[in-house]
Amino acid sequence: MSGVGPVEPGEGTRVRTAPVAHRPQRGSPLRNFERHRRAALGTLLASAVLAGSGYLYLTRPRPQPPPDPPHPSQVTAVDYLKPQATGGGSDPRNFSFDVEMTLESGPPVTVVRISQPYAGLSVTSSPRTPFRTEAGAPRKITITMRVTECGKVPRNAGLPFLDVTLRNTRAIEDHSFILGSQYAQDLSRALQVACSNDFG
Amino acid sequence: MRQRSLIAITAALAAGALTLTACGSRDDDGGGSSDSGNGGTTVVIGVDAPLTGDLSALGLGIKNSVDLAAKTANKEKYVEGVTFKIEALDDQGQASVGQQNATKLVANDDVLGVVGPLNSSVGESMQKVFDQAKLVEVSPANTNPALTQGVNWQKEKARPYKSYFRTATTDAIQGPFAAQYVFNDAKKKKVFVIDDKKTYGAGLAATFTEEFKKLGGKVVGTEHINPDSKDFNAVATKVKNSGADVVYYGGEYPQAGPLSKQIKEAGAKIPLVGGDGIYSADFIKLAGAAGTGDLATSVGAPVEELPSAKEFVANYKAAGYKEAYEAYGGYSYDSAWAIIEAVKKVVEDNDGKLPDDARAKVVDAMQNVSFDGVTGKVSFDEFGDATNKQLTVYSVKDGDWATVKSGTFTG
Repeated sequence: MSGVGPVEPGEGTRVRTAPVAHRPQRGSPLRNFERHRRAALGTLLASAVLAGSGYLYLTRPRPQPPPDPPHPSQVTAVDYLKPQATGGGSDPRNFSFDVEMTLESGPPVTVVRISQPYAGLSVTSSPRTPFRTEAGAPRKITITMRVTECGKVPRNAGLPFLDVTLRNTRAIEDHSFILGSQYAQDLSRALQVACSNDFG
Repeated sequence: MRQRSLIAITAALAAGALTLTACGSRDDDGGGSSDSGNGGTTVVIGVDAPLTGDLSALGLGIKNSVDLAAKTANKEKYVEGVTFKIEALDDQGQASVGQQNATKLVANDDVLGVVGPLNSSVGESMQKVFDQAKLVEVSPANTNPALTQGVNWQKEKARPYKSYFRTATTDAIQGPFAAQYVFNDAKKKKVFVIDDKKTYGAGLAATFTEEFKKLGGKVVGTEHINPDSKDFNAVATKVKNSGADVVYYGGEYPQAGPLSKQIKEAGAKIPLVGGDGIYSADFIKLAGAAGTGDLATSVGAPVEELPSAKEFVANYKAAGYKEAYEAYGGYSYDSAWAIIEAVKKVVEDNDGKLPDDARAKVVDAMQNVSFDGVTGKVSFDEFGDATNKQLTVYSVKDGDWATVKSGTFTG
């Protein structure tokens, strides 16, 4: 209860005729302000400076968060190279060809699985899956196919796929690579040789 | 006086706060007109697509996406001294109307490139008109191989028109891609093939059928429908009686939707598969609940996989277009941007001005255009076809198209 009213009324602080006085009056706010003007101004200015600083801090230029890496299928290319020569005595049910896998950009991609969709063929690769590819370092992959059932392979598919499961830090995806007409022709030729004495 | 002091203090603080706010503002444009112009020359990008009628959902998506590309180029002042505008004409999906539109666009000297059309049959009717005027045409949606590779494309590829380009993958890949998926992944062995007798539909059905048979599949029936009809009960009954386990339809969604519905109503609970022409939200509406499990292949990778596509989707939304961008929005944006890139090259090679033979120069420049677009890397091969050849299989699930499998042609 230290408040003491002003000795004389200040400007605009005329006492109203019917004040509600359920609690002790300490003078009007303006009179209080006048009394503590320096303190109030100081507080206001400090608040403004604090608010301004806070705003500037919150809106300060910050480096953009790095963008998400691309989906692996969007940066991985698989190109058909050529069939591998097979020796005269080798099992005609097995044949191999080379593809080149290139990662255009982004974090390394792991090749989790290589397959193809035909029921009468099985696939292995060298290097064996899983293996990693890195941007700027194309890898030659040798794909070896084995005919397990001639009745379940297409002898002359126009656009056969190679299905590859790719994984990077963003996603794991199954993606079909359609290797084009040269691959289709070489695959057909190999299947015809493999199934010339139909064992399936 | 003291009141005045208070007001002054408050005003000073408010002004300070406003100043701080202004200092901290980011790069917002404040919502200014995006096509406020870049001064100098006006270059018009023509658009031809079905803006009315059954196929207007796809056509309006094309028009809006080209508009967005033009506005973006203007906003960024991408070509110094050039302001892009669009002139969109409605071909109603009709070849004859498309040809008239081509003549109109050629007559406007400000037109330096045209995006469109949707339908391969319309594209076929426009190619010669544009080529004679050396006016570049980039279709975001034509998939018939003959348009770029000649009518004998299966035996010997020969480019018929130097001024024609496209960002969409051709049916030479799309049909076999669908056949491979249907036979190997979906394990369907007996197909009933239906088409609408049009350039796109018949061509796509043919490339699908050829590959499906090569894989060992059996074609248990074929039919052609009249695209002007919506009553396919007779065909649906034939499908039911054929014992087919899948239907392949070469055509577009206005017919494909009712066809799918009527096939299921006839008692054949088998999926209908189509190409990019049925990959529309309207197909799902027309096919109804029975369309769940139907499949479509479409050109390109799924939008959610491409960061550039996400930006396009956000910008399209922000631009406030009423209609969805649909299947070809990204391809239309990229088609328009390819024209913008070609114009930029021509202007820069001519000391910042358009040369007198700008149209011919734009055709030449288009052949070497290369940029990262909405749909991936955009460039063209020696036939004018997109070098980026991705395809995706979608399935109707919970009333929407869901991604099933994607493939990339690297041959």
